[in-house]
Amino acid sequence: MTKMMIVDDSMVIRGRIERLCADARLPDLRVVGLAADGAQAVAIAQRERPDLVTMDLTMPNMDGEQCIEALAGLLPETRILVVSALNDKLTALRAIGKGAHGFLHKPFNDDQLVEAMRELMP
Amino acid sequence: MSYRTLKSDDIEVFSEAIGHFFATVTEERANVRSAYLLEQPEPIVWGDFNGVITVDGGYVGSLTFSAPRALLSHVLLHMGEKQLSDEHHRDVVGEIANTLSGWTRRHFGEGLRISPPRAFGGRSQSVEKLAKSAPYAIPLRWKHYEANLVVHLDVVG
Repeated sequence: MTKMMIVDDSMVIRGRIERLCADARLPDLRVVGLAADGAQAVAIAQRERPDLVTMDLTMPNMDGEQCIEALAGLLPETRILVVSALNDKLTALRAIGKGAHGFLHKPFNDDQLVEAMRELMP
Repeated sequence: MSYRTLKSDDIEVFSEAIGHFFATVTEERANVRSAYLLEQPEPIVWGDFNGVITVDGGYVGSLTFSAPRALLSHVLLHMGEKQLSDEHHRDVVGEIANTLSGWTRRHFGEGLRISPPRAFGGRSQSVEKLAKSAPYAIPLRWKHYEANLVVHLDVVG
């Protein structure tokens, strides 16, 4: 069973990713937490220890880059897929440098998200 | 500190962002029309819902996506969302503004620093005038709905 956490300040995007987690191409995936900002995500991660995280970058309170850094320190085995609208190379490289494992640009379609998650599933 | 206005290729990338968003999320292209300068100095809102992104860094100003409720309802349904409350419409209009803004960083680079979105219904709030130049409106038609992206940005330096 792969435990999954979704981090995005948009409830519509959180809901969309959560629904896609039920896709038959993503077997044995269970959503254990939904977070609207980085601070919530760190609190949930300490409790639930997710195996896989989708991470927005532009968020209030604690942004995605800070959250990636915190999660990489707390849970080094957790795989982090950045799902962000920020479409420039430096941002992607910086996120990877802080501990993310993949980057999917918004807007995305269902197939793109499922494929990106499959690549990072343990 | 000096400011300059956007060039035509800067504006074009916002039109491309709109086209890419609707094609990817709904698999139905939007008809993006020519951008034009608004006569009034501050950005205007004219949709049922408005999503605003504030920009700083190498640029200063705002981006406002304004759309009618029905357009946003259709986009929500395309995303698999069955709840169509006001809160969901505010959320998705903010997310569209965020996505369009972020996508243009492929052109502007990370100097275009964008805020989390602020969203509101109708004319219940206004958009602060942050740029000195005149705002551009980029009208679009998707299905039979009309919406607008208002780009009000100055380049710093």
